[in-house]
Amino acid sequence: MTDMKLDRRSFLATSGAIGAAGFFGMPLFAGEAQAQAKKLTIRVDLDISILDPGYMVGGSEIETQKALLPVLVDFDVQDGVYSFRPSIYVEKFEQRDGTHYDFTLKPGFMWSNGFGELTAEDVKYSYERMKTTDWKGNFEALDHVEVTDKYSGTLVLSQPFAPFMLLGLAAGPSAILCKAAMLKVGEKFTTEIPATCGPYVFEWTPKQKLSFKANPEWTGPKPAYEEVEALIISEATAAELAYEAGEVATTQIAPATHARYIEKMPDNSAIYIAGALQYMWLGMNTENPKLSDIRVRQAIQHAVDADQIIQGAYSGTTEKSNGIICPGLVGHRKATKYTFDPAKAKALLEEAGVSGLELELKTLNLQERILAAQIIQAQLQAVGITAKVVPVDSGPFWEMGDQSKGDGYKSLELWIMRFGTSPDPQEATTWFTSDQVGVWNWERWTSEEYDNLYKQGMVESDPDKRNEIYLRMQEIMEDTGAYVWINHEPETFVHRSDLKISVIASGEMVIREFTPA
Amino acid sequence: MFATRSDSPTVPARDSSSESWVKLRRLLGNWQGMTGLVLVILFFASALFAPVFATHDPNALDIPARLSGPSLAHFAGTDQLGRDTYSRVLYGGRVALQVAAIGISVSLAFGLLLGMLAGYGPRWLDNALLLFFDVIRSFPTIVMALAAVALLGPSLNLILAIVIVTTIPGYARLVRTSTMALKNTEFILAERALGAGFGRILWRHITPNVIGPMFILAAMDVPVVVTVEAGLSFLGLGVLPPTASWGSILNEGYLLIRETPWPIIAGGIPLVLTTLGFTFLGEALRDIFDPRLGKGR
Repeated sequence: MTDMKLDRRSFLATSGAIGAAGFFGMPLFAGEAQAQAKKLTIRVDLDISILDPGYMVGGSEIETQKALLPVLVDFDVQDGVYSFRPSIYVEKFEQRDGTHYDFTLKPGFMWSNGFGELTAEDVKYSYERMKTTDWKGNFEALDHVEVTDKYSGTLVLSQPFAPFMLLGLAAGPSAILCKAAMLKVGEKFTTEIPATCGPYVFEWTPKQKLSFKANPEWTGPKPAYEEVEALIISEATAAELAYEAGEVATTQIAPATHARYIEKMPDNSAIYIAGALQYMWLGMNTENPKLSDIRVRQAIQHAVDADQIIQGAYSGTTEKSNGIICPGLVGHRKATKYTFDPAKAKALLEEAGVSGLELELKTLNLQERILAAQIIQAQLQAVGITAKVVPVDSGPFWEMGDQSKGDGYKSLELWIMRFGTSPDPQEATTWFTSDQVGVWNWERWTSEEYDNLYKQGMVESDPDKRNEIYLRMQEIMEDTGAYVWINHEPETFVHRSDLKISVIASGEMVIREFTPA
Repeated sequence: MFATRSDSPTVPARDSSSESWVKLRRLLGNWQGMTGLVLVILFFASALFAPVFATHDPNALDIPARLSGPSLAHFAGTDQLGRDTYSRVLYGGRVALQVAAIGISVSLAFGLLLGMLAGYGPRWLDNALLLFFDVIRSFPTIVMALAAVALLGPSLNLILAIVIVTTIPGYARLVRTSTMALKNTEFILAERALGAGFGRILWRHITPNVIGPMFILAAMDVPVVVTVEAGLSFLGLGVLPPTASWGSILNEGYLLIRETPWPIIAGGIPLVLTTLGFTFLGEALRDIFDPRLGKGR
């Protein structure tokens, strides 16, 4: 008879395994299978619904595409700055001038189901098709694709568009489809890709797992793992338990867990931060009578201490922001012009002749945001402003400042907002131009200089000049007094020390680039 | 001047004080009733005297001291913003008490009035009120609350309104049934023959006879109301931050359960004890005031 020992680790391992297996309908003792060479089990947080790059939502759909479909360029980071590099499918990729990008594919990459070789015609079909899909915004600058020969061609833009490579090709919906296969299926599909050309073939068990097995017809570099099984675990705590139980080799983690792991890392584990392409701020409605005096808004800028918010609501795991351009991007600011100075805040309020100010602070009904709102509430109270925290569900929240939805925007006073962005500064600045007032510019200010700089930033290709442009744009925003910058929340993963993971800045894993450490 | 039943020399006056004493002794002699009574008294005392018992301002932030365990400085540790969990639990009890006391009192009053009108009034009024009660009861409370909060935004007043609206039909139906049983009894017919008005009959004769069971039902409803408030606050749809509520403490604790168990323990225990206390007390009162039910169980 075998003696049974129950310590914390074995309890976690057992309960996590049983919980994950029971909850997700997986066979028990999957851990035994994971011990087999060349098989890796990981976690994804969402199931797939549409794998067509033109109509997908994103997340695990991009992760699946990157394992099955060709791309021209891959996302890269050079000296902490987001960049791109030619993909394994490409022999040559060069920018000829502001509007022409030449590419040559490597010969010999074969589509599945007998659809022949990957050619420049597939690139032309895929990217020109994108201009008519839900993701057409990413390809708006693309005019057409010229095919030079079987493997070569040129992407021709209608005008210079600096973010095209990062926004259109390296991140997001850049997968190339097989023209012949697409025409055969009527140019539409959902979860069954008509032909794949990647290091893996794919099996999908809805709501349970995404299985990637090495493609026997693949002629490119072999992936490090013969099989990767991605368990769909939506609930973050369940995923973390599964990781600690050894059931998955990597998972994304929440700020509180990150903080706990910093104090005590699980055995044989390491943290990977893919990027921090999210920016959060406290916004103020410049047209609201209570906030129309810039001195009141500046008083609020001086009254709020973002460091306390980061410590209290995010367990110290996020980076303080100084603007809307995230770390690693051209135009990222190192400091703000205002400082945390409650005495100055009081003086500004007094100068403005304001006392007993009562404001409403709206936030999404999410734990971290509500905590952040309560810290802001306490800090404002310290300078004599009474803020009422109002949590709002996502439906009404995202319509609060939208003037096409009624007059609600007029009564909007303070709110906590977070946007996500792509690895180029252009997208982050899009939402604050004059034509965005009442759409996404809920602060409701306009600046001709900002609008002009926005246009310049799109066509400027010199990184130094772009840097100056985006720094100035954020300065203009800050000078309105309508923003208190809070943080950039990172995409944080925990993984086994013997595994090297690859994740793009927006948080999608590139499974084909996973290798043993 | 009208004669009432208690004025009538033919009805022997009952020794109500002795009867009450017997019932109280039965309550105290019943372990369930005794436990319930103690827990309910504890609930009232801790909520009413929260400012006396609390060791800290429940909303004072102390971020460097966040997520600390129980200590002499913080009996139940601190939450993510360094607030004293013990003090927040005490103040959370005030919210629960407020919702239970105001919510149930108002619903009792409206339930009594509407129930008597339905039971004693004309047929058309009875039908209309029954339809109204059934419409209200057909909405699940939480779904109605979610819809109301989505439309109007979360607030304590809204929770109170939801509690009142959803609990009125239960009381009203009980009162209606009792009123219908009473309205053709001899003493009511006698009152009417003597010229007693509609209001007087309802107030002086029907009310004293139907109100007893309502209090038992109310005692049984307190845990329901307290958990509705805690549930909505748990979902972030109840009281507004930073006001402490057992539900919001549980919500914060749930998200931090792997960092510290104390907020969950501190927020959960009073909720369980209060629910248990009112349930025990309500059942014991029912056994005492309606012994047939007690024997039948």
